[in-house]
Amino acid sequence: MNLGHLIEEHPADRVALIDGETTVTYGELRSRVGAVRARLVADGIGVDGRVGVMAGNETAFVVAALAGLGVGAAVIPIRPTSPLPELERKLEVVAPDVVLLGESGAWALAHQAGLSAPLVDVAELPTVVDDPPPVATRRGDDLAFLLLTSGVSSDAKVAMLSHHNLAWVQEAITVNAAEGVGPDDTVLGVLPFTHIFGLNVVLLAPLRVGATIVLQQRFDAELSLELIRTHGVTTVSGAPPMWQRWAAAPGPDDALATVRSASSGAAALPSDVFEAIRDRYGVEIGQGYGLTETSPVVTWSRGITIRPTSVGQPLSGVDIVLVDPDGTPVEPGDTGEIVIRSPGVFKGYLDAPDLTDAVLTGDGWFWTGDVGVFDDEGYLFLVDRIKDIIIVSGFNVYPAEVESVLMDHPAVKGAVVVGTEHGETGETVVAHVSGEVDEAELDRFARLRLSSYKCPTEYRFVDELPVAPTGKLIRRELR
Amino acid sequence: MARAPSFRFEVAPDLPGADTISKYGFGAIRRLVHRLWDVTVEGVENVPLDGPALLTPNHLSFCDSVFVPASAPRRMWAIGKGEYMDSWKTKHLFPALGMIPVDRSGGDAAQVALDTAAKVLDGGHLFLIYPEGTRSRSGNLHKGRTGAARLSVRCDAPIIPVGHEGTLAIQPPDTFMMKTRLPCTVRFGAPMRPSDFGDPDDPRLLRVFTDAVMFQIGRLSGQTYVDTSAGKSDTPSPGLPPGRAPSTPALPSGGTAESATEAEGGPGGWRAPLRVVPAIPSIPAGRVVDTTVAAARRGTEVASKVVDLRERRAGRTQEPTS
Repeated sequence: MNLGHLIEEHPADRVALIDGETTVTYGELRSRVGAVRARLVADGIGVDGRVGVMAGNETAFVVAALAGLGVGAAVIPIRPTSPLPELERKLEVVAPDVVLLGESGAWALAHQAGLSAPLVDVAELPTVVDDPPPVATRRGDDLAFLLLTSGVSSDAKVAMLSHHNLAWVQEAITVNAAEGVGPDDTVLGVLPFTHIFGLNVVLLAPLRVGATIVLQQRFDAELSLELIRTHGVTTVSGAPPMWQRWAAAPGPDDALATVRSASSGAAALPSDVFEAIRDRYGVEIGQGYGLTETSPVVTWSRGITIRPTSVGQPLSGVDIVLVDPDGTPVEPGDTGEIVIRSPGVFKGYLDAPDLTDAVLTGDGWFWTGDVGVFDDEGYLFLVDRIKDIIIVSGFNVYPAEVESVLMDHPAVKGAVVVGTEHGETGETVVAHVSGEVDEAELDRFARLRLSSYKCPTEYRFVDELPVAPTGKLIRRELR
Repeated sequence: MARAPSFRFEVAPDLPGADTISKYGFGAIRRLVHRLWDVTVEGVENVPLDGPALLTPNHLSFCDSVFVPASAPRRMWAIGKGEYMDSWKTKHLFPALGMIPVDRSGGDAAQVALDTAAKVLDGGHLFLIYPEGTRSRSGNLHKGRTGAARLSVRCDAPIIPVGHEGTLAIQPPDTFMMKTRLPCTVRFGAPMRPSDFGDPDDPRLLRVFTDAVMFQIGRLSGQTYVDTSAGKSDTPSPGLPPGRAPSTPALPSGGTAESATEAEGGPGGWRAPLRVVPAIPSIPAGRVVDTTVAAARRGTEVASKVVDLRERRAGRTQEPTS
């Protein structure tokens, strides 16, 4: 599948995007994409070129990304809220031939002189041209996207994803899935399209099947609920902090009445959020699992009975094996590192063969660095990141388990645990806690619920914990 | 050397060892053990006198299966190789000690063993299982397998962690005779229940609970814990050469992802095979460094410090014998 042809088959009058007051049909979208394609071709950008797209969840993002794919270039989504120094660094790394700007990225025009790539405001381009150039020929293995992996790991990496990588996942979650996304669905587009989850699951897969996407540029819980009600949204994907805000947002309790699929990804969904949404709106959130490097979906919960703490079951066609550090598969029921083989697995990191070799084998196994366990029915449960494991007296301590126990204390608002060197036990557990709580009381609370080697030996009380917008904790800032 | 602790011969007509020969045979073995060796039993009050429980000792020597049952106030049962029933030397002795023979050649041997154990526990009896799965050749305490935790959840039976020392000197590996007059200590720990460590319905609990049990066993036995299976070497590996695949484990019940896909066909019709290893992943070439670091951290540098037990360990030989 050449992603440049993503929207070609759909009826011209079908609504593709709802962007505020504006409605864009598939016919209009094709016309606008053709016009931008003409501009790119005129600028000499074609097969093997690189097109940056710096836009939020707005029509310009969709037009620019599809135009970039259509001329055969690799598309590089760039977060429009990136601070200037970060933008400069990103452009140095990915070296785009041009960066197409949406409304939310237009601020960068003022800094053009200091940037290494030419900027073009999509709003300045025509929406129709007489004879748009044809979509360039691309093979499935050709590069479609260069994605900057999300910033919780210290070193930013650029994942190379092919047309086939994304197209395969699109098919797996739409036409090839029980209760997959279909042409009659209306999807809430609030997860950022610059992130693989928003890009492939919320934007491209629904476009592929001819669904309608309701764009929401900035997250606002009340506005989301209003968009859902107004446009009869059927499919909502969100990150855990979003679901938390929707659970508490003012508005009627039937706000999600039209929703037939609710999903969460990017970080673990707290069970109280799952329960709050279910109890208030009558909707069960299904979790999924995936990484930028897997385009992203490998497990999900659509079409199966939802287990609130599980990330669901593997998609048809995905192989998942849990292994020990030496690569031996663990016994059924035991935890191990999640190793994946799927047509969605990426081609490697840009200009970083060593990083690629550390996670990807020649025969296509991707070592995720995540620890998980399957239950007897094939549901996957995530445990933690391997590199976050703290080793105390030879025993593995998973920070997530300790944090979840500490968070159960009613006075604790947030908790992050990290390991520090310890002469006797190798490492020891140190807890960073926010909230008005007595140390001795919290220690007693933990000791009742955790094996003694897992109990923090030191508590540090802080006002705020570092949390990324997706809800992931930024642990390295506390080490 | 000492009198055997008080003991009740539990009658279980549907389990092996219910006959009179077994009854008197086991009584004689118990008394003999306490006469021939200097056995110290600690924490015997932790073993419930009624109802089901799992006993999970460390495993150093063949004779662990004699000293642990001989130290408890009740009988206990355990799974043993079916082959023992073929030899005249063992076919009466082992059932008297509580061994339930299970044929391990079948494809569903693991399930049969679990079901057999569940039957013992559901009958309200004690069941002995070595969580390391096999004897430790290094003297270290190895990563526990999750079977005991699984049984504990399934049968709502507590786990009594057991730590012993001295059996390795009494019967070193590959020797048949047991050296008499040596000391042996068996310590029973406080009962542990899965629900004290999390939600028993959450599959993540199995590893959490297993590790908690192993930690207690380590405290009771005084051993250093290493997070590798007992069947594997616990010395840090220098790392596999780039591109080399790990050894291929046996497929528990056959099949591959491909065959499963074919068998169940159709989009969306296939789910992850459960008791089937779908394929053996190879190790990324650049992974070698990580493996070494992880192994080194787990292996030698991190020694379990069990201060109060270190003194008692002083006399024991811990040198690997193989």
